[in-house]
Amino acid sequence: MALVDLIKKDVVKVPLVSQTKPEIIDELIDILYNASRIKDREDVREAINKREELGSTGLEFGIAVPHAKTNAVGTLTVAIGISPAGVDFDALDGKPSKLFFLILAAPNQSGPHIEALAEIAKLSKSRTFLTALMNAKSADEVLDLFRLD
Amino acid sequence: MAGPINNIMVYIDGSEESMAAAHYAIALASSTRSRLEAFYVINTKALNDLVKARIFLQEEQLDYEHDLREDAERYLKHVGELAQKKNVRIDAAKAVGNVHQEIVKRVKEREIDLLVIGELSHIRSRRDEFYDETERAMRAVSCSVLIVKDEDRAWELYSGL
Repeated sequence: MALVDLIKKDVVKVPLVSQTKPEIIDELIDILYNASRIKDREDVREAINKREELGSTGLEFGIAVPHAKTNAVGTLTVAIGISPAGVDFDALDGKPSKLFFLILAAPNQSGPHIEALAEIAKLSKSRTFLTALMNAKSADEVLDLFRLD
Repeated sequence: MAGPINNIMVYIDGSEESMAAAHYAIALASSTRSRLEAFYVINTKALNDLVKARIFLQEEQLDYEHDLREDAERYLKHVGELAQKKNVRIDAAKAVGNVHQEIVKRVKEREIDLLVIGELSHIRSRRDEFYDETERAMRAVSCSVLIVKDEDRAWELYSGL
């Protein structure tokens, strides 16, 4: 399943309003909770934080990819959030993170999990596309950027 | 004279789409009396890309590779059982590496004349529409390709055997 199949309007939030790393993680989790993609926010928070303790998922160029395996989902689940102001996410380059992909996968679905993350890795090579995403003003605009007309 | 389909390979990646492909491939192998192989690729290329992109840590790479190997065993075993229930003989094989390259290689090595795959993404992405490895394989293989749509129909064909 391609990443684009998972990106629906109800799992995209623009703008994110949180200002710290823990708050951003909670806000991303809330996107999925409000879209009925998850029922247990605490389990998800624990799984994400456990991964973050190993090393921040804040990358370069303003992207962050918090991800985890968790039984809180039965299938690959993605949320996207954009923080125009940026948030300190302990990123590799020390700069604020603005574009967030929260990726959750069931423990027995490593294949789709890896492919979704690999797609994001590929996307992150295009600075033009990243800039366009970070400047998107709405969920509709984000969806349009991912899809062909 | 041998028919057009003698040697089928169904690509399995654990997705629901690939399970529908397995149902269909078993039904097709039964009706054409073709040889059938289920093939799974442990996608270490993607794992390496994720470490290079620093999305994965080294320890995650090992952890996920272990998961992928377990997934391969589980899904190939499951497809084997599906075939066995319908008295269809199936070989199972796996490879490690780049998905579409391993599929292309296996098709050549085994002289496959039909590759069966699950349905591809409905939505065309603006961003590198060929990223999907199964789609890449479809375009690159030397044999004909059957894309299984309509999971319900695939199940009907299988359960009707």
